[in-house]
Amino acid sequence: MTTLATTPHRSELPAPASARSRLRASRPRWNTSGTILLAVCTVTVLLPLYVTVSMAFKTTEQAVDGNAFSLPAPVSVQGFVQAWQLTDFPVGLAMSLLVTAGTVAATILLAAVASFAIMRNWERRLFRWSFFYLLGAMFIPFPVVALPQIQLTGRLGLDNPLGVIVLATMFQLSFSVLLFTAFLRSIPLELEESARIDGATTWQTFWKLIFPLLAPMSATVGIFAFLYAWNDFMMPSLIISDPGLQTLPVRQQLFQTQFSNNYNVSFASYLMAMAPAIVAYLFTQRWVMEGVTQGAVKG
Amino acid sequence: MTGGALGITLTAGLLVGCGPGDGGPEDVRFTFSKREAIPYMTQVVDDYNASQDAVRVELDTSGVDVVSASFVRGNPPDLMLANYNHEVARFVDRCTLTDLGDTRAASRIRPDLQPLMDQYGRCEGRTSALPYSVMAASVIYNKEIFAEHHLEVPQTWSELIEVADTLEQAGETPFYGTFKDDWTVAQGWFDYAVGGQVDTLDFFDRLAAEGADVGPRSAVSFEKDLAGPLEQMTQLAGYVNDDAASRGYGDGNLAFAQGGAAMYLQGPWAFSEIAKTAPDLELGTFPLPMTEDPADLKVRVNVDLAAIVPEGSHHQDAARDFLEYLYRPEVIEGYNESQLGYTPTADAPPPSDPRLAGMTDYYDDGKVYQGASVLVPKTIPVMPYTQGIAFGEDVDDVMRTLDEDWARLARRQ
Repeated sequence: MTTLATTPHRSELPAPASARSRLRASRPRWNTSGTILLAVCTVTVLLPLYVTVSMAFKTTEQAVDGNAFSLPAPVSVQGFVQAWQLTDFPVGLAMSLLVTAGTVAATILLAAVASFAIMRNWERRLFRWSFFYLLGAMFIPFPVVALPQIQLTGRLGLDNPLGVIVLATMFQLSFSVLLFTAFLRSIPLELEESARIDGATTWQTFWKLIFPLLAPMSATVGIFAFLYAWNDFMMPSLIISDPGLQTLPVRQQLFQTQFSNNYNVSFASYLMAMAPAIVAYLFTQRWVMEGVTQGAVKG
Repeated sequence: MTGGALGITLTAGLLVGCGPGDGGPEDVRFTFSKREAIPYMTQVVDDYNASQDAVRVELDTSGVDVVSASFVRGNPPDLMLANYNHEVARFVDRCTLTDLGDTRAASRIRPDLQPLMDQYGRCEGRTSALPYSVMAASVIYNKEIFAEHHLEVPQTWSELIEVADTLEQAGETPFYGTFKDDWTVAQGWFDYAVGGQVDTLDFFDRLAAEGADVGPRSAVSFEKDLAGPLEQMTQLAGYVNDDAASRGYGDGNLAFAQGGAAMYLQGPWAFSEIAKTAPDLELGTFPLPMTEDPADLKVRVNVDLAAIVPEGSHHQDAARDFLEYLYRPEVIEGYNESQLGYTPTADAPPPSDPRLAGMTDYYDDGKVYQGASVLVPKTIPVMPYTQGIAFGEDVDDVMRTLDEDWARLARRQ
């Protein structure tokens, strides 16, 4: 988290010999302003997280006493028990996982295939226009098309998690295609030509060569799709008609009422819902970073 | 892959579920999303399911947005107990709900509640919604503080001011204000002040008749009829805690539970919140006196829950059967007893909770009104307007804005 300045600054070089040796002998210096800035940024993340965790373990009485930062005393797991029962947590979690996994997988696959086809046929008008068509979806937010989508999914028997997967994938597609196409530009065409000389078909080229090369970008696309699908409230709430198949965010809406505050129950529930997202991020952040740097350095 | 399989099973399940006479019990989807009462309703549903095997009720707690979507989709819930407001009334206005006038439950409802239901909207010739729970709201007061200063419950405006002055001189805060949450200003301060001396039923009828002509020259307008009561409201708002502007509903409940003020303009829903901190605090209620005549005293009511059966339901008969079960005296009275509501059936006893005793006589005599703030369509931001008044904006200015908004909306419709 701290930035270390190990190399002496250029302007300090013509300093007297004694000063220079002192400089070399001294331990690496703190970049004070940078450290403070980063520490403040860290607090904005850690403080809400702390409140979430401590609230979740409070009793209802302590949760409403107006001291958000106090430590739970006594520690109570009643919030978790109630949240678990009220949201039917295992089922909600399963539905959220299903929707998220489906959206992530479908987004990565479809966006990769579409980008490959578009980039390798860029000179054809149909493909070029289909790229713009896909990008156009970026300008249409879900609420604008919510009503027709509700009717449409209802008529097609898609008023369930499957419908949410289809729609969420569609809305994720434009941004993902944008990322993939940019990345594909950096993959030299010669690689593909050599594969073709060895007798590979287009499908084989894609599966055996291009798709593995796209892996870092797939991770980035996957993470964006994950965050979107996991946190989305509006689409599942409107599209899924059977309450037994609702996702977690929709089930948790129960806790936000005008007249009643049950902070301990709500925060326990939010904590349980956050856990998979945090775990997923811990395991995949390495690939996100790789994706960013690999996209930046050509070749 | 799993998703696909799931989708197919679901669709198949839905289709099968719709076919009558397939041997198994008929499924009824029952929407109910009042969080505090979910345990009670779950028990009711379980009891009903166990008592017979022709109908199986499934409790759906997923909320109002989901219901609106299901109407769009054409598969609304079969039965719904919903907070009765302008949003639900839209389904009434458009005649998308079945007539419940011929049910046994309907015949037992107090007839004087019907005007309150009609105030939101109606479908000619139908009883589209039946009240299930009526909430009465008025001033909540701390009996211990009142006893300490030998104060009686005020019956007139001047007595109220006297009580407030006495409390202030004794170093107590007379009223706890939570002006940060605009709905608390609208629900408590604005509605009690207006309802305490204006006949809201009549006022909104005349306002609707005036329509687009509401303004400085119309016979009835917010400015003409409400400015007086609201001047009184601003006078009362002078007796609140110093930090009222930055306090929200949650803060108010906590402070009131700790004896931070003598009076609190909130509904019975606040009792359970206050009890989280002070379960044994002695509290009472009384209607806010706005005139010098005790005969004018009235309490604010709202139909907290109303039962509806949508026309789009495929299981209307089964839904009606469960509806009759819900209106059995022991079920409906038990519900209202547990939620501090009044049972809308004619023969029902009032809730026994002593905290509500101060309102019961008024409710029994039909001395009730619905809050002006909830009778204004939601497209007009009446809550922030009332908050503006609490923060010191000029009453006449705000009322003129309200008049203009009302006329503009009437022109558009």
